[in-house]
Amino acid sequence: MYTLVKIELYKIFRKWRTYIGFMAIGVLVPVIQIAMYFQGAHYLEFLTRNFKDNFVFVGNLLNGYLIAYIILGSLTIHIPFLIALVAGDLLAGEATAGTYRMLITRPVSRLKLVTAKFIAGLIYTNLLVLWLAVISLGLGILIFGVGELLVIKDAIIIFAQNDILWRFAFAYASAALSMSVVCALGFLFSSLVENAIGPIVTTMTVIIIFTIFSAINIDFFRTIRPYLFTNYMSTWHLVFDDPVNYDEIVKNLLVLTGHIAGFFGITLFIFKRKDILT
Amino acid sequence: MKYFLALILFFQLGFAQTKDGHEIIEKVKKKFSEVKDYQVDVKIIVDVNFLKIPPTEAKIFFKQPDKVKIKSQGFAMLPKEGLNFTPQSLFNKAYISFYERDEMYDGVNCAVLKVIPLGEVSEVILSTIWIDKQYSVIKKVESTTKMNGTFTIDFEYGTEGKHLLPAQMVFSFDAGKMNMANNLGGDMHGDSDAPKPKKPKLTKGTVKVIYTNYIINAGIDDSLFEEKKEKK
Amino acid sequence: MQKIIEVKNLTKKFKSLTAVNNLDLNVYRGDIFGFLGPNGAGKSTTIRMLMTLINPSSGSIKIFDKSLKQNRNEILKKIGAIVEKPDFYGYLSAYKNLEILGQISGCDTSNKRIMEVLELVGLEKRYKSKVKTFSHGMKQRLGLGQALLHNPELIILDEPTTGLDPQGMKEIRELILHLSKEEQKTIFLSSHILAEVELVANRMIIINKGTTVVEGTVQELLNATNLKVTFEVDEIERAKKILSETQWQKKIESFGDYQILFLLEKEEIAFLNKFFVEQGILVHSIVPKRSLEEYFLNLTEKGA
Repeated sequence: MYTLVKIELYKIFRKWRTYIGFMAIGVLVPVIQIAMYFQGAHYLEFLTRNFKDNFVFVGNLLNGYLIAYIILGSLTIHIPFLIALVAGDLLAGEATAGTYRMLITRPVSRLKLVTAKFIAGLIYTNLLVLWLAVISLGLGILIFGVGELLVIKDAIIIFAQNDILWRFAFAYASAALSMSVVCALGFLFSSLVENAIGPIVTTMTVIIIFTIFSAINIDFFRTIRPYLFTNYMSTWHLVFDDPVNYDEIVKNLLVLTGHIAGFFGITLFIFKRKDILT
Repeated sequence: MKYFLALILFFQLGFAQTKDGHEIIEKVKKKFSEVKDYQVDVKIIVDVNFLKIPPTEAKIFFKQPDKVKIKSQGFAMLPKEGLNFTPQSLFNKAYISFYERDEMYDGVNCAVLKVIPLGEVSEVILSTIWIDKQYSVIKKVESTTKMNGTFTIDFEYGTEGKHLLPAQMVFSFDAGKMNMANNLGGDMHGDSDAPKPKKPKLTKGTVKVIYTNYIINAGIDDSLFEEKKEKK
Repeated sequence: MQKIIEVKNLTKKFKSLTAVNNLDLNVYRGDIFGFLGPNGAGKSTTIRMLMTLINPSSGSIKIFDKSLKQNRNEILKKIGAIVEKPDFYGYLSAYKNLEILGQISGCDTSNKRIMEVLELVGLEKRYKSKVKTFSHGMKQRLGLGQALLHNPELIILDEPTTGLDPQGMKEIRELILHLSKEEQKTIFLSSHILAEVELVANRMIIINKGTTVVEGTVQELLNATNLKVTFEVDEIERAKKILSETQWQKKIESFGDYQILFLLEKEEIAFLNKFFVEQGILVHSIVPKRSLEEYFLNLTEKGA
């Protein structure tokens, strides 16, 4: 299995499309950071405008942590697309290239082949989120320094400096799990067709539609919301709360894990029985 | 004779009832003017139900008549009214004051004054001030403002501040009246299905400031109070 | 003789289409087995079932005397195959493609072995080149290379000479013969080029509409066919007259200036020659033209 995963990773990272994700984040995040460097003070002013009437602030609220938090919240559609770009190609790409015939006639079970591909896809996904973490948090701290983290939800929460990093570690881990669901979905669609474009577009369509459904505050959509996996994809933000609702976090993570297992299980079922005609 | 004594008593009492608030205030101002400058370490504890801030530490610098500077390693938040509060700041503008009564407050014998700032500029409409008669320091202020409801500042004194400067200040305010409520634009990540805490009832909030390690009249340079761009 | 491939009642249905219908075939150790049929006969579908790319609807496949369904990985370790057009990872080099496929197969992927295989198929000079730069013929060679990399006992080749020039075809033929004779490989060869099959195969099957039409040794099948033989004679008019009075008349296909085209069985060539000699007609040349193609077309059209 290790050899198979290594080979799949090699194939993934030899394709130029894999680097689109890393480059996109490598450009997008610094652009946001530069914008915040020049405009961040105004943004913070806006956030804290009513406080300033009654309170005096000191301290660096416009710091790397705040920027990283904002970035994490704003890339909800972009990152899934970058994941789908690779996940959708994992199986369909073999069909397009005609290499299924070479691959599946090897003395290796389809189970192992598809599992190796899936693991490679998950590794790519996690590396992309790790890259996001490094560049938004790491570069952010280099540019903006550290300080307390201001989070506005039902209450205004300011996290002490020594109480932040573990939250980010958890947030990125949770984001990685959410993106792994996207990977699993793209992978599933990839097993159904012979061209990567279809799975990529379909994955994004599903995410966008489910996200819209989750956002509409009508009774019907509220009822179906718990059944939409997109509802759980921003679990990461739950750790930026005081107190942290660990029960809900655990529940959400289990739902996400269940979706990953479910999507992969279906893919396996389809792939084992699939007639390879390409 | 009897009538003469009664008259004198009457005038005495009458005089006592109309004790000069202004005179009391001047005593407080004079007492405070003994402080040319000071620096002090503060610990700030915020207790407002929609504000979750960990206790923070800072240093406050003060120089007469009204220079104030906060320095902190990290984030610190202090109520403006509390931070900038001095007898001078309270009484340097035009006002009317009158002595209302004496009262034992928090074990301290206080003179209670009413102060009405004059002029359109002042945010405060009316203040009630408890003044420690023994040490001529302000024990408590209760002010009603035009826009932000009523706030109260309670002071405690000890040897730390040589009974000139407070060892502790508790700033209480009506959170519902303060415009801070507008900051809460609803859950930015409203997709959580957890039982949401109800939007917090906007009640009273307090900020407690504990003062330690006063350094009084050591001399502070004016340059310290100049606005500098904070290095990150 | 050990059966290497044993197919019984193999059927594959795609919705309403029956691509393979109760097919039986047997391939023995050491065979170069020709697998023939017109387009749409079910050849590719059969090969895909042998290579587990497609699941049969019914029937059984045994390879090396073991059920393919139950012993898939063990069996595939001993098979090398080209299934239709060989496709590779175009963004990788020839060397890397072989290395990856070999690693998946768990075989020797040392530099020595890979270069050996590339040399065998004539691609040693292009080992670093990306496969997307290869011509069709080069990809065919590389396809053969990946089939041979793990030194299989059975080699399944689906149209291996497609896209090759005559020299390339000759080299592939020689390689097939070498593999069979020197290395005792069993070869299952599917081809449209009947002459190719005739030149290398010892046994063959012709299928049509997913079913066996005829199976046997090449020799038997070819002997069953008639040959077109051209006799070049000096007195064409006299020959015509003589022939018209004999049973040979029925065997005549056409006349040329000095040639007469007959449709004969192989044994009859000598007898006809003897007849001309006895009649005093000089025979300058006898040119037999194998009509395997006609035989094939006949069989498949008539569904014989």
